[in-house]
Amino acid sequence: MSTYGLPPPLLVNGFARDLADSLVVAVNTTVAVAGQLYTYLPGHRILALYVRASYQNDPYRTLLEVGLIVFMVWYVLREKYKPGKKNLELPLSEKEVQELIDEWEPEPLVAPLSDVQRMDLDKAPIINGPSGPKVKLADGKERLNLASYNFLGALNQESTKEKAIAALRKYGVGTCGPCGFYGTIDVHMELEKEIARFMGVQDAIVYSQGFSTIGSVIPAFSKRGDIIVADEGVNFAVQIGLRISRSKVKYFKHNDMADLERVLQQVAREHRAKKNKPLTRRFIVAEGLYIDHGDICPLPEILALKHKYKYRLILDESFSIGVLGNQRGSGVCEHFGIERDGNVDITAATTANSVGAAGGFCCGTREIVEHQRLGGQGYVYSASLPAILAASAIEGIKYIESHPEQLALLRGHATVFRAALRKNLTGGGPPAMVDIEGEECSPVVHIRLIGGGGGDIAAMRSSSSATAAVAAAAAAARAEEDRVLQDVVDEVLRNGVLVTRAKYVEDHDAMIARPRPSIRVALSAAHSRKEVEKAASVVSAALKKVLKARR
Amino acid sequence: MEHAVSQTNPNSTWANLRGSWLTNLLMMVLIRLGAAIVPGISSEASWTLTNLVYNTSTFLMFHWVTGIPFDLNQNEYEGLTLWEQFDNGEQFTPTKKYLTALPIGLFLVSTHYTHYDLTTFAINLASVLVVLIAKLPAMHKVRIFGINKSHTD
Repeated sequence: MSTYGLPPPLLVNGFARDLADSLVVAVNTTVAVAGQLYTYLPGHRILALYVRASYQNDPYRTLLEVGLIVFMVWYVLREKYKPGKKNLELPLSEKEVQELIDEWEPEPLVAPLSDVQRMDLDKAPIINGPSGPKVKLADGKERLNLASYNFLGALNQESTKEKAIAALRKYGVGTCGPCGFYGTIDVHMELEKEIARFMGVQDAIVYSQGFSTIGSVIPAFSKRGDIIVADEGVNFAVQIGLRISRSKVKYFKHNDMADLERVLQQVAREHRAKKNKPLTRRFIVAEGLYIDHGDICPLPEILALKHKYKYRLILDESFSIGVLGNQRGSGVCEHFGIERDGNVDITAATTANSVGAAGGFCCGTREIVEHQRLGGQGYVYSASLPAILAASAIEGIKYIESHPEQLALLRGHATVFRAALRKNLTGGGPPAMVDIEGEECSPVVHIRLIGGGGGDIAAMRSSSSATAAVAAAAAAARAEEDRVLQDVVDEVLRNGVLVTRAKYVEDHDAMIARPRPSIRVALSAAHSRKEVEKAASVVSAALKKVLKARR
Repeated sequence: MEHAVSQTNPNSTWANLRGSWLTNLLMMVLIRLGAAIVPGISSEASWTLTNLVYNTSTFLMFHWVTGIPFDLNQNEYEGLTLWEQFDNGEQFTPTKKYLTALPIGLFLVSTHYTHYDLTTFAINLASVLVVLIAKLPAMHKVRIFGINKSHTD
């Protein structure tokens, strides 16, 4: 061992003893000095007393208390921070910053148009003059207008024009404020009374824009944590409302009552499974007449389920007022012979379609309406409806009420148009090339290609979980279908009838899929029977021609 | 999901007032005095009572009851305890430090002035630990033992 040069053991002991001695001296002097210093501290006696009294001959207890004090000091000395926010800043050198700047390419302010969007822009018809049952296009020729929602022909009525001009002279153009802030004038209150009477409910509230009415009504009642069960086929305005309500939204298959019951049961099951049952508001959201499908909601069945599962019903009647109903045209309730009061809790609609004005309203019980005067964001934060539009809306409702024969005429037109289309396309049987969607008496007709496969609702839903390739293929098929339908629309336009493809917001990250591409025909009571038959023959001829050329 | 805070939450801002801090301390003193005037009560029992009453009431108030008594920003604070609403969820803010230090101080003072036996010491310590654990940043928006309704974001 000693060959490795280690000192003899005796010497090690000597070192160790010296080291230990010096350590003891050092500790002793430190303690002595610390004790000396400690006596100079103010209040040292109190601290010593406290420690002695607290010690109580139990070192474990003291240890615990010291632990608590340490925790307190740790807690007090920590920097404040916000949970969930991570510091993602990376230290970059000057050179790296410059490199990042150099390789950065600004995104275009406006994204390049897709083929379908380019086509939409190029093919948009330009109307020269006022809208109406017949419109003059930029080429100077008149076309039969089957693209506007002028169901009863209330648009551009002479009496409405007179009232509007009188209102303009009396009140001026704008109202200069929201309803709750100097914006309410007598025509608004008159319109609200008129709507409540017409709809057969206690009260009504007027919004200044039709599109945003339902988008304001839904969030006014359904808040974060509440539950909404909505039809998959609701229109874009309703989807916006569902989205900004921040509620839990569940969808059932379009007009499928068995599926609605399944969803309601599922919600009830989930609620039962929760330990402490939260009190949430629950709503069913549906449309009276689905503009994207042309069919009518099965209101009696919805009401039965709503009463059974204790939900409230929000109904968008934008396209069913002045369309459905036999005597007065007050919407889907009248169509089914159901009392609105006590069944449909909240009804919202725009006055831009059948009524022939602009703006929207919501009606129901007095509580429903009064809540929105402070809780409906579209009502509270928007300037109120211009007086000329309010006056026009009053006149429009009067027009609907005084022309019950128009309702029957409209229903007749719908039946005639559908029958003529079917007859022309196949000679009586069901058409082989296209699907004519919508209820027999509904004035909104959607014509979809059979077997186009352009992403129907079910396909789009599955594609969200499937691969991107499947989604891309569905999008391509959809674009192709759109192109074919646009060819049909162009051909129809050349033959004197104006129709349109149903258009949807393409890039909106909607929670539900868009319906399949279609040509949308909106019939009007302002047309004669002969014009409707002519339109049907023009549309079917164009369909035949384009689809034959495609094969 | 991180929300931008657009509105102050009147349900929680009061806690940042110095008057609220003082009131909290005064309540503590009042509880102690109230416990002391019970006839024939021992010093241990009155301090234990003070600890338990203070810790239980603050636990219920800060960590048990959720939500907000009025509608604010579409029920943004629904499902959040008052502690989570303080300073919009920020941790280690002065108010939170103060409200954490108080029960610890009370416990230390109470052990100093009494001769707890093991059982009473354990009871007091447990009550302090429960409120301290609930105040930890790691317990932010955490629900255990069925405490609080499920939190939805």
